[in-house]
Amino acid sequence: MGGMGDTNPWYQAAKTTMIVGAVFSAIFTVLLVVNLVGSAIIGPWRENKLAVMKVQVQQEPGNQELLSEIRQLDLKIRRDRTWRWDFAAKAAFMLLGSVVVLAAAGKLAGGIAKVSPRPQPIMERGESQVKEAKQARWGVAGVLAVLAAGMLLLAMSRWVDFVQGGDAGSPHASVEEKHGQWHRFRGFAGAGVSAYTNIPISWNGKTGEGILWKTPVPLKGHNSPVVWQDRVFLSVADPNTRQVVCFDGKSGRLLWKGDVPTAPVASAEKFEIMEDTGYAAPTVATDGRRVYAIFPTGDVAGFDFNGRRLWHKSLGRPDSSYGYASSLETYEKLVLIQYDQGDGKEGKSRFFALDGVSGQVAWETKRELPSSWTTPIVADVAGQPQLITVANPFVVSYNPADGKELWRAECVGGDLAPSPICAGGLVFAIQPYSQMVAIQPTGQGNVTKTHVAWKAEDGIPDICSPVSNGTYVYLLDSEGLVTCYNVADGKKVYERELKEPFRASPSIVGDKLYLLSLKGVMHIAQVGPEYKELGKCELGEECLASPAFVDGRIYIRGAKNLYCIGQTPVGGPSEAK
Amino acid sequence: MPSNKEDMTRRKFLREGLWGTCLAGAGTAAGLSVARNNQDNTVWQIDPYKCIACGNCATYCVLEHSAVKCIQAYAICGYCDLCTGYLVPEPKALDTGAENELCPTGAIKRTYVEDPYYEYTIDEPLCNGCGKCVKGCVAFGNGSLFLQVRHDRCLNCNECAIAAACPSQAYKRVPAGQPYLLKGVGAKE
Amino acid sequence: MTRFACIAMFTMALLVPCLGARGEMRFPPPEFESGYQFPQTTHPPTARSALYEYVDAALLVVTLLLASHLILRRRSRRAIFVLMIAALFYFGFWRDGCICPIGAIQNVTLTAFDSTYAIPLAAAAFFVIPLVFTLFCGRVFCGAACPLGAIQDAVLIHPVRVPRWLESGLRLLAYTYLGAGVLFAAMGSTFLICRYDPFIGFFRMSGNWNILILGVSLLLIGLFVGRPYCRFLCPYGVILRHLSRLSKRRVTITPTECIKCRLCEDACPFGAIREPTEDWPEGEYKIAKKRLALFLMLLPVLIAAGGWGGYSLKERLARMHPRVRTAERVFLEETGQVTGTTNASDAFRTTGQTSEFLYKDATKIRSRFAVGGGLLGAFIGFVAGGKLVALSVRRRRTEYEADPAGCFACGRCYTYCPKEHERLKENRGTLLARGKQ
Repeated sequence: MGGMGDTNPWYQAAKTTMIVGAVFSAIFTVLLVVNLVGSAIIGPWRENKLAVMKVQVQQEPGNQELLSEIRQLDLKIRRDRTWRWDFAAKAAFMLLGSVVVLAAAGKLAGGIAKVSPRPQPIMERGESQVKEAKQARWGVAGVLAVLAAGMLLLAMSRWVDFVQGGDAGSPHASVEEKHGQWHRFRGFAGAGVSAYTNIPISWNGKTGEGILWKTPVPLKGHNSPVVWQDRVFLSVADPNTRQVVCFDGKSGRLLWKGDVPTAPVASAEKFEIMEDTGYAAPTVATDGRRVYAIFPTGDVAGFDFNGRRLWHKSLGRPDSSYGYASSLETYEKLVLIQYDQGDGKEGKSRFFALDGVSGQVAWETKRELPSSWTTPIVADVAGQPQLITVANPFVVSYNPADGKELWRAECVGGDLAPSPICAGGLVFAIQPYSQMVAIQPTGQGNVTKTHVAWKAEDGIPDICSPVSNGTYVYLLDSEGLVTCYNVADGKKVYERELKEPFRASPSIVGDKLYLLSLKGVMHIAQVGPEYKELGKCELGEECLASPAFVDGRIYIRGAKNLYCIGQTPVGGPSEAK
Repeated sequence: MPSNKEDMTRRKFLREGLWGTCLAGAGTAAGLSVARNNQDNTVWQIDPYKCIACGNCATYCVLEHSAVKCIQAYAICGYCDLCTGYLVPEPKALDTGAENELCPTGAIKRTYVEDPYYEYTIDEPLCNGCGKCVKGCVAFGNGSLFLQVRHDRCLNCNECAIAAACPSQAYKRVPAGQPYLLKGVGAKE
Repeated sequence: MTRFACIAMFTMALLVPCLGARGEMRFPPPEFESGYQFPQTTHPPTARSALYEYVDAALLVVTLLLASHLILRRRSRRAIFVLMIAALFYFGFWRDGCICPIGAIQNVTLTAFDSTYAIPLAAAAFFVIPLVFTLFCGRVFCGAACPLGAIQDAVLIHPVRVPRWLESGLRLLAYTYLGAGVLFAAMGSTFLICRYDPFIGFFRMSGNWNILILGVSLLLIGLFVGRPYCRFLCPYGVILRHLSRLSKRRVTITPTECIKCRLCEDACPFGAIREPTEDWPEGEYKIAKKRLALFLMLLPVLIAAGGWGGYSLKERLARMHPRVRTAERVFLEETGQVTGTTNASDAFRTTGQTSEFLYKDATKIRSRFAVGGGLLGAFIGFVAGGKLVALSVRRRRTEYEADPAGCFACGRCYTYCPKEHERLKENRGTLLARGKQ
């Protein structure tokens, strides 16, 4: 087959067909591109306009014209979209057809116009082959260099090292860090114990002596202050609002307020709660990176320390006769919520552990127990961290990492409000007006008959939780009766009437007992086998919340104000352990 | 022509050997595959319990009009007047007005059944798989709306582009004989 | 519905992230009084029947048998072309180009490395059948059955020669592509070859814009440079090259004997015709020996360097795996180095797994990539070194022959050979006289 040349009619026909095919291909390509512009630009532009109009119509509910405009635009968008899809599909087919025509004609033309081979004379093929081989080797080397450059470029991109290094990098504070702060109701493990030795022992709220600052707290709440380094957290609420507030620990300045929304209610049922409990009864908790709050409406939220709300969740309105009041606890990165409700038979009670970063449920355990108003604690006892909870009639201990039950003891009853504590290797739980039980936390399963060390029956409070330094355990009841027992054997050591009402739970700081009365008077006594009063400090305001003790400072929440008691502005985080 | 006859046979032997090895290799690959063979072809499907309704299904499918569609599980549906999968978060009224509908293509149809219940059905040809209704239903409702790959449209690509882009890795290969993972009452994950 | 509740819902909806599709039965199923019947959840359409897999595999065998006959016996370019176009339309446009043998490499790899993956019969068949045919007949698959090759061959209108030095170098990219494709498939990260298949957009008539543009560019190049994807990128082609070197029978330009008339020199648009070799200039042999020795010593160095390079890139390579990407993002969020969350990190948090578990998983994947990356790097080093060695060895050819590895068995060169014309004349009598000059 030789080259037929341009005179061949087939060749002419092929060329013409090629041109036709090329033109059609170009036309359909352009049409497709135009269509693309339409769907990628005009479509979204119209949709944005529609969104804006929809927002506008919310504000102008009576504007019928706008409404009909919206509906028309919506219809137009939908019709347009469907039409564009169809058009694109059809145009693509036509494009394929014209490209096929173009290619076929091209092949035909190419075949006809093929030139017959006319090999040129060659000399010294050997040399040229050597040269070719050399060039090929360099070509390979060149591409290899390009690949190596690509690898280098890839090597320059950063990657994330998962090795947890340093405090700022870890997702939650360590146990050691928590010991040095007041991260939840009554501090680490809810013990009410602080190891700082530089805590003030005298101040006067009326004269202002010893008071570093005093700041009014918005709204209301009975929950206790929580302190992490230079931040003090409280939660506040009224029937329509729930907030977490953060104050600067050094100056008392309000840093931020975070709203906690509530779930939509199917019926417009008003939420009412007992006045003594209030709309913000549970105390907040922090894991050193985020602060968490729960409200009696069943709404939980997590905030970072700058006030940004990370998540919120509604656990459903709890069925709790006095109003839900259990405070939060944290374990590593988890937020632990004792969600007891109902009468126990309905099986509504749960224990939730939420992931602090996202609010998702990490684990949840069913509890066939009725409402309780105690706060759970996580303490390191019997060689492992235990999550200890108290509800009628069991004291139950769980593994805080996965919610598996470790042991339970049937030893309490009634409406439970005082929270448990761990001291001297024992767990103390209180049944109001009735008894205090000391349990050895070393068992497994139902240890009612085997691990109860001793019981005590005198001076049992109904609200305040106990406090202990490992040797003595102190009870404080609502009328001001202080009762001291030996941890080792449960023998009563002494009783003392303070003749003042108390709501805040007692605390031990170093070797001193701090008892905050309802009238705002702090009774400071020596820890020991007899009650030796060291002083009384008046605040001048009613106090229901338990105080927080951190490095050189005490934070007390009064009914209206938050007080910081300390000598001089203390240094920054480097001083805190 | 090779200069050495020995060279020739050695080379030939080597070649034959290699050829045999390659054939054996191909056979092994075949055998291995047959041994661990799925009788059925596999197709792609979404695990509705992993899906977070991010909206990628509508945009990442290689088809212009995605092969993923929303399905309504009537047995789970609450038939609510205020359907959070059908209505925008702050609807002007609880009706079928365009300003109240969440669905951008109008693929959900609302019909009155009896007070206070409404039936919600999906008009499949209109659905584009964007998942807005799924998000609303799961966040505040019963989660009866969920996305599934429709196999009359899906091309069953070897590497599903949506699967590669799915943030929750909700796509899995399922046998073609049972190509759907449907939500049903009591059938939790 | 009170205003308050609506506003509350609006606020919630604006701010709450999706809580995962677990879905709780917040509202109990209604009890209808009017006798309303629950409709069936839509009856779903079924997938393409499994029967089609067997049909496709059978058709592939038939196509390859036919191709072998047409290429090796019939030796008719026109017939080969027609078969190629038919294969393009069936395996390409009708079957949407999926699953193809090139992608099937990854399926087979995944079968080997992931015990939970069961390969469909079609994938296994499409991988093995062309390999077997290549071992017997050369690259007949490439010539007449592969839709990707066919689409490139179909648009080749004015072939331009690619210089030899560029060819060898660019082929290194194909080896890299094969290695990377196998690596990522073995790790369960992604099917790289499928992701970057340039022509699939045409077969499906829709697709991602980036890939469509890539495909169009390759085809535009393919108007002048013959089969660019096949020669420089196809990973399956790499395997077929080596098998074809060993094949029992293969394409020969002349049906009988080569008379070295040189008429076929420019016949191949793909540069696959090798001319006879001649003696080198005098001093060349000594230099060549030294060079060969040098490259042989360089080979293990290149392997080691490549292996080390690939190993050190393990964390970046591992990022191809979605689990590692999620772990990195979650870590950055938890340590406060980034603000906000992504869909992926939100989705992870709905799974209830701890982030420590996620990091452990990601670290495990990275260590697997350490091995895999090292092997990939070593492989590339080995190939490059091997090419350098091969280009230093003296070849001996006395005839014009089709490159055993690179010939695509398209049949274009047959009619350039005078011996071929003699054969045709014998077969068809005087009818052919008209075609001759």
